[in-house]
Amino acid sequence: MTKHGSTSRLRIDAAACDGIGVCAHLASEVLELDRWGFPIITARDLSRGELSAAKRAVRACPRKALWIETTAVPSVVQRAPGVTTPF
Amino acid sequence: MTSDELTMDQRRAPAPVAPDASLVRQALLLHGVQIDRVGEADPWEPAAVEHLEHLVGRVGPRPYGSVDLITVIERAGLTGHGGAHVPAAAKWRKTLRGGGPLTVVANGAESEPLSAKDATLMRQRPHLVLDGLALAAEALGADRAVVWLHGDDHGTAATLQGAIAERRAARLHEPALELVMGPSHYLSGESSAITRALQGGPTLPTARRPQDPRSRSPRTLVHNVETLARLALVARGYPPLPTMLLTVLTPVSRMVFEVPRGTPVVDVLEGTGWLRNGPPQAVLLGGYGGQWASWRDLRSATFDEPALRAAGLSIGAGVVAPIAHGACGLAETAAITAYLASMSARQCGPCLFGLPALTDGMRALAAGDASRRERAQLLEDLRLVEGRGACHHPDGATRLIASALETFEHDVVEHVAGRPCHESGRISLPVPGGHR
Repeated sequence: MTKHGSTSRLRIDAAACDGIGVCAHLASEVLELDRWGFPIITARDLSRGELSAAKRAVRACPRKALWIETTAVPSVVQRAPGVTTPF
Repeated sequence: MTSDELTMDQRRAPAPVAPDASLVRQALLLHGVQIDRVGEADPWEPAAVEHLEHLVGRVGPRPYGSVDLITVIERAGLTGHGGAHVPAAAKWRKTLRGGGPLTVVANGAESEPLSAKDATLMRQRPHLVLDGLALAAEALGADRAVVWLHGDDHGTAATLQGAIAERRAARLHEPALELVMGPSHYLSGESSAITRALQGGPTLPTARRPQDPRSRSPRTLVHNVETLARLALVARGYPPLPTMLLTVLTPVSRMVFEVPRGTPVVDVLEGTGWLRNGPPQAVLLGGYGGQWASWRDLRSATFDEPALRAAGLSIGAGVVAPIAHGACGLAETAAITAYLASMSARQCGPCLFGLPALTDGMRALAAGDASRRERAQLLEDLRLVEGRGACHHPDGATRLIASALETFEHDVVEHVAGRPCHESGRISLPVPGGHR
């Protein structure tokens, strides 16, 4: 999670991916190859360092099969009043 | 129990089994029919087609489809009947957020080979389905309204063509309804494949890439035909039907009929002749992309999706396929996995390579000669394939295998010990290509 209250994840279009494997060379911090040579994302919410690795992989993919998806996460103060974390 | 006395020979002349009268009491959507175990949904006894004037006589004319219909379907709790049970209103909201040209699709391409409830519904009540399509198209301001069928579903196509001609002759004020015949491939019923095909591409699934909600890119809304038939009734002010459509595989046929939601599984199996020689060993729920459930888990269960979900099960698109004692659940699962592998669109690596690998693992397990390494590989591949395709086709296979390993746990132990079932060489389900 970043300080702006959003999370970034690396995503794959498996239909576009041809298993070329450039991504795994450039961004082993965030993905690895399965036994058939196709990438598996290993990092969930990308940290700052992981995000730059993920960007390298996105730029390098010859099939344009990778992208970074950013979703806003409501912070505690944005939650409706009366809603408490169930602990 | 010996397998001999319970083996039901599929080649035997069709027995005069019909759905028990108490089961078909509530025929609100369709009349129960019996059809062959494989192929088109041609009923053994001819069933009448409901013509436009009959439908109007029974339930009144179709109202105009306004956008307020979204609150009607939301209040009615209308969910998808193609297998995934997604609330229809949620799909409408998502569609309304876009701005590009819209195509609404009545999906009648019933890809699950065992399922025949959609074809039976369209053949008996084509106008109810077409009403639902016209209503959705009007309500959402669609530019095109399409009925999508498998290219080899000739009987259903003929009925729909007749119905569309009837509506044209009656000069109904409604959007033009097109009949489009897709390929006969398994994945031609998958919604992203239909979307791509209707936008001029190949009929292949696509990954859902992020899209700017303000974009003017084309939109496609795909609804199952049963969902649209139900929409046509709630739009007329009828309460949501308290029934569900089932396709039950028997040793000699398939039976398509309607039961009240919450009907005990026992009653359905009794009414389709499955309990004459004692209960079945297990039941495949949802078809080849579904899940196995043991008789122990099902004997007190009811056909109610929320209750089944709470037990980790789902009825999917309403397919019920029991297997008798003596059949080998692992061999049946290996045959189904091979079929699912053969039906891959071959686009995504984890599906293209993963499903054949899972097939090899299941075949070795079924044959009783899976090495420790092969067994470990099977479990590893289940984890590796799950959730990694552009569509959910590979997930259907992993879920099926996982349910088989759990349901037939005792058989797994026996097979691993080198004692496979006697019936491991014979497949009782009519899996395409399963009788090698």
